Amino acid sequence: MNVITAEVRKSFKILLAYPIEIIFWIISPLLWTVPLIFQGKAIIGGLRSTAFGNIAGTEEFIPYVLIGAIVSTYMASSVWSMGFALRDETYYGTLEHILSAPVKPVYILLGKALFNSMLSTAYVIIQLLICILIFGLQVTFYKIFPILFFLILLIAGLYGIGFAAAGLTLLVKEAHGLLHLFEYVLFLFSPIRYPVEINPITRTISIFIPLTYALIALRGLLLNIKFDFWKNSLILLGIDLIIIPLGLYIFHWVEMHTKLKGTLSEY
Amino acid sequence: METLKILHYLRAINAENIKEWKIELRYKPDFIRQFFEPFVYLFPYFLYGFALLGARNSEHLKSITGISDMFAYTFVGYLIMGFLNTACWAMGASLRKEQWYGTLETIFIAPVPRWVYVAGMALHSTLHQGLIMLIEAIVVVIFFKIFFHIDGIFYSLALLLLMISALYGLGILVAGLTIGLKQWWVISDALSTLINIVTPIAYPLAILPVFLQKISLLLPTTYGVLGIRHFLIGENLSVSIPAIFLRLVLMLVLWIGFGLVIFLIMDRYGRKRGVLSSY
Repeated sequence: MNVITAEVRKSFKILLAYPIEIIFWIISPLLWTVPLIFQGKAIIGGLRSTAFGNIAGTEEFIPYVLIGAIVSTYMASSVWSMGFALRDETYYGTLEHILSAPVKPVYILLGKALFNSMLSTAYVIIQLLICILIFGLQVTFYKIFPILFFLILLIAGLYGIGFAAAGLTLLVKEAHGLLHLFEYVLFLFSPIRYPVEINPITRTISIFIPLTYALIALRGLLLNIKFDFWKNSLILLGIDLIIIPLGLYIFHWVEMHTKLKGTLSEY
Repeated sequence: METLKILHYLRAINAENIKEWKIELRYKPDFIRQFFEPFVYLFPYFLYGFALLGARNSEHLKSITGISDMFAYTFVGYLIMGFLNTACWAMGASLRKEQWYGTLETIFIAPVPRWVYVAGMALHSTLHQGLIMLIEAIVVVIFFKIFFHIDGIFYSLALLLLMISALYGLGILVAGLTIGLKQWWVISDALSTLINIVTPIAYPLAILPVFLQKISLLLPTTYGVLGIRHFLIGENLSVSIPAIFLRLVLMLVLWIGFGLVIFLIMDRYGRKRGVLSSY
């Protein structure tokens, strides 16, 4: 616990050294939706679409894309923050110190995951407040617990991917390519910006992504769209149970591999 | 003497360009990945638009722009905006990357002005981005059967050249800000997000609120996108073609001048405060 707490405190101190990042992560996901709102207005001439309603379950595309953007904060955090967790230590010149400390590296990684999930949740809460105050999004109190339930299931799954990403960056070094690949898959094949049912390829691949089920459930709860609560919960839980051990195994394997090969300090 | 000096600078710019190609080719998966990236960001526009319309053509879009094909309209806008990456990302990251590699101080004591180094990054990135966009254009045009007006290509290239040159000013500005503010990607991402919103990529200028329209008219990307889309697919314009060329030339001068001034100020600030080597 001491190691995890120390890692959280250290990450927090580094974040405070770059305060502009905090504002960026709060505002950016909301700004990314603005072009989609203008595009919608330009091609349909209004703020409701029947065609969209037939697939997405709601004709109002603005709340649909806003929720996608807010939840994608977790995606960005798990892929980028976790992926760069150890690569950043290479840049700082502190990776060897951390890995030679008398603690299991997985605890350091858990500390980073805990910090990132707390931070992302803080961002999401502020973004939701902005949406409630400015865009008139309505959240009833009794829905908060099911929302939190799905968010926890989502965070667990995404950080499973994050563990694997953190490990793989030790192997391939120039992490941008790999992390972009993770991001592309999540971005293209989950219903962040559009309903994946629009295309057979996106629909098929989305089945394997935890973000898909979380977004269906969260939109269902927030926008009163019909969805199967238990089906989505159980699928998310099942994915989590596979992804988390798999992510930890990949991290452990890569760590051993790089230590054996002596490539840990290479750029 | 002046000619020799210019040749000296050009050699340094080319050396920087070659160095960047060598570094990028060292990380082959990442190099290949960059050719796929434009599709990942373009397809959501297509799929989202298709989900809204239930079809490819929009009567409402046609009534405003004269073009009904939402794919063609968005694609041309998006393709041109690829060069924003050159300015915001490649040029902006140039100095920060050297800092990570531990070579910033070495480069800064070389016997050339600092802007030469950023110009080298601009040359490299323009070539690299140009190649990426060419491949993207070929694939999308064939796959989605988008047809361009061939006779508009010459004017489109002329507009593109002016727009890229003006964007170099933005790149120099971002590179300069990086010296003092360090976290370059926040500046780059914030700037590119704002420019992407204000530039009429997937929607016409008329859709934007009036205050955003006014900001939009201060950006070279707006004139680049509007003009090129007019020449290639026949978008109706609210600004005349000579005015577009004239304003782009004006912006080229203003943006480059502004970018250089900020860069020099930040460079002096960085050395005076001793923050060049700090993270």
